[in-house]
Amino acid sequence: MTEQPIIRFENVTKQYDDDPPILDNVSFEMEKGKFYTLLGPSGCGKTTILRLISGLIEATSGKIYFKDKLINHVPANKRQVNTVFQDYALFPHLNVYENVAFGLRIRKMKNDEIDKKVREALRFVNLVGFENREIKEMSGGQRQRVAIARAIVNEPEVLLLDEPLSALDLKLRTEMQYELRELQQRLGITFVFVTHDQEEALAMSDEIFVINEGKIQQKGTPRDIYDEPINRFVANFIGESNIIKGKMIRDFLVEFDGKQFECVDQGFSPNEPVEVVIRPEDLEITTPDRGKLNVKVDTVLFRGVHYELCSYDENGNEWIIHSTKKAEIGAEIGLYFEPEAIHVMRFGETEEEFDARLESYDSYGDKDAD
Amino acid sequence: MKKKSLSTIYLTIVFLILYAPIFYLMYYSFNSGGKMYEFESFSLEWYKDLFQNTRLLIIVLNTIIIALLSSAISTILGTIGAVGIWHLKKRQTKNVLLSLNNILIVSPDVIIGASFLIMFTIVGIKLGFSSVLLSHIAFSVPIVVIMVLPKLQEMSSTLIDAAKDLGASNFNVLTKVILPYITPGIFAGFFMALTYSLDDFAVTFFVTGNGFSTLSVEIYSMARQGVSLTINALSTILFLFTILLVIGYYFISKRNGRIIGLGARK
Amino acid sequence: MIMPILLIVYYSFLDIHGNFTLANYQKFFTPVYLKMTLSSFWYALLITAVSLLVAYPTAFLLTRTKYKQLWLLLIILPSWINLLLKAYSFIGIFGTYGFANALLEVFGIGKKQILFTDFSFIFVSVYIFIPFMILPIFNALDKLNPSFIDASRDLGASGWTTFRRVIFPLTFDGVKSGCQVVFIPALSLFMLTRLIAGNRVITLGTAVEQHFLVTQDWGMGSTIAVFLIISMVIIMLLTGNKKRGGVG
Repeated sequence: MTEQPIIRFENVTKQYDDDPPILDNVSFEMEKGKFYTLLGPSGCGKTTILRLISGLIEATSGKIYFKDKLINHVPANKRQVNTVFQDYALFPHLNVYENVAFGLRIRKMKNDEIDKKVREALRFVNLVGFENREIKEMSGGQRQRVAIARAIVNEPEVLLLDEPLSALDLKLRTEMQYELRELQQRLGITFVFVTHDQEEALAMSDEIFVINEGKIQQKGTPRDIYDEPINRFVANFIGESNIIKGKMIRDFLVEFDGKQFECVDQGFSPNEPVEVVIRPEDLEITTPDRGKLNVKVDTVLFRGVHYELCSYDENGNEWIIHSTKKAEIGAEIGLYFEPEAIHVMRFGETEEEFDARLESYDSYGDKDAD
Repeated sequence: MKKKSLSTIYLTIVFLILYAPIFYLMYYSFNSGGKMYEFESFSLEWYKDLFQNTRLLIIVLNTIIIALLSSAISTILGTIGAVGIWHLKKRQTKNVLLSLNNILIVSPDVIIGASFLIMFTIVGIKLGFSSVLLSHIAFSVPIVVIMVLPKLQEMSSTLIDAAKDLGASNFNVLTKVILPYITPGIFAGFFMALTYSLDDFAVTFFVTGNGFSTLSVEIYSMARQGVSLTINALSTILFLFTILLVIGYYFISKRNGRIIGLGARK
Repeated sequence: MIMPILLIVYYSFLDIHGNFTLANYQKFFTPVYLKMTLSSFWYALLITAVSLLVAYPTAFLLTRTKYKQLWLLLIILPSWINLLLKAYSFIGIFGTYGFANALLEVFGIGKKQILFTDFSFIFVSVYIFIPFMILPIFNALDKLNPSFIDASRDLGASGWTTFRRVIFPLTFDGVKSGCQVVFIPALSLFMLTRLIAGNRVITLGTAVEQHFLVTQDWGMGSTIAVFLIISMVIIMLLTGNKKRGGVG
């Protein structure tokens, strides 16, 4: 039914000596022509996945497929993937042109063909006229483009990008986010982008894999992951969250902070202990008598587009609020939120169980619609 | 201000003393008097003498041949060695090899000379050209290793990953990435080996036989016999030659970004 | 490469006829050899100390000059001149009618025997070794972050206190490697002892050379060489060869 995946991991584990595994029994598929982001804190195993795809390291166990061909033991130089490295890894003894031509020369391509391809690749990354520059004469952003050109000139089916924007300043980084996204759409090849920056991931990806401690915590579109985080880690890592312990009384009714609230979640056992997520921007400031929750404002920070308020309820739970309205420090305010703003998370739920549960909502929803 | 002039005086004195002997030699090489005092009149007769002294010229030639050959061979061996050490995965073996290398560099010449004398006698290599060449290679290899290794270590490992990622085989990685990258280090190593070989006295003194001699050994025996201004003439020429070498080395290390230091072997 | 060193150890157990013996080691511990070892150490120590005293201020002042890399190169340049030639030059300078005596006469002191004295030996040795002492100290001083000095002055330290409490400790590694590359070769000098000191000074190196090339007693020569190696290793351990960046 779906298109054949371009990359498939089956129970892949990577382990050095007797250390705990860097990558622990990971399985996933990647489709052709999509922009994937591997997102997680440093040391979570995201770069390991990248290096396994590029062939720079071999898996300890498990199977890696490239278009249904097992590639576990295919060395890096024989794979149809190319990488843009974090430090760009441009060869300092070669100029821009020769850096881009490196892969083609290895393949013993004819000179005029090399020339054509190199110039085209440089045009793609807006570096026409820089052919004879030395690498050390190029700025950070320009080096980045050279690295991209050097990779795409080989016409890989998958382009791997290892935190390529982390060395750039904020403004350039935002600019490059647009450019990379556009480049991916023009080339129509699969991008696998590694980052620890959640905003970058949300802005650019078709699909995000959130990774922690060697396991994929959650896969999904940016919207899905933001709105329906599977657990506390994902909720915390993607955006800011208010996470509070609670109890699922029955379907569509959850209890936390000593009160019961209407919600849209279902499929839990009665009185099951859960964690509840409410995003700071979903909390509305109102008067205490109209609020579903009453809190006392502790600090107020002006963040430009909104105020960030830190407040505490009577049970001592912290509530972060993003609002365009300002409140006085020490003031008692009410917080209002829609039932849809509440997201309930089950403890220790795996991705499959989570997905299955979400599926079931949809079918209920369909029935309701009938 | 006073402090500044004091330090200038100090530095000037140091420089004067450092260069005095060299210019002293050069000055008297033009003395027609034949002694290293009482400058009589300007003359080039010692230079004429020098160029008519075929024995001395052959020795100069020997010295240069030994130096070029030994530094070329030890540059190749040392580069292979450095790449080998750098490539080693095991930290322990690496450290052991590095310490051995360091010991060989710090080892006094007397010990290297004596031990090679013993070895050549046991193996049965006749003392002469080949024994001098072999021992020069032996003490130059560690120097080349120490000059090349830092270059390898400063090379980012992602460069190699990148090359492989772009389709380079291991051989390609070596010839297209590693070797070009460490070329400045290799050149510096070659120059160091060359100067050490040209400069060496002690090791050569031990392993040179009767028939064969290098410049240092020859100057030693000449100096023991007393003053001869032919040596002065020779040293003037050598000094100019050395300056040329240093200028060459300076430009290489300038491309390297810094002056790579010298070891001590005297 | 390590083979020859092992051969030395092996030979140190042989007598002049090639029989296995410990006699060489017994001989080494007789007053004659012990005295020689001691005096060799004493001279090496003197040479190292004088070199350090001259080299540290020089290196310090060099780091304060403009074009310091160029000046450094000029300091190193003489060390690239064949050692024998420099020694030879000193024979002329220190000779009876040489420049040094001419200078003494100008000052009205009169001629002195300079060549073949302890003074000339130490002077020439220091002359030979000084670039190798300056270089690591210079590198250490050069690497020193100048804001440390500013910080120290800011915290109320005087110039001297700053030097003693901040600069010197931070450049101590350079000093150590400098001492290492001077002391070890100074122990084994043998050519200078003959040309400049006129055989008055006998170092461990001279003794090795004497036994190998003159008396042909390789066993005894090897024994002395073994002690030379041992002292070398001890000195390397003392001066810590972990950070040899300054020399390498």
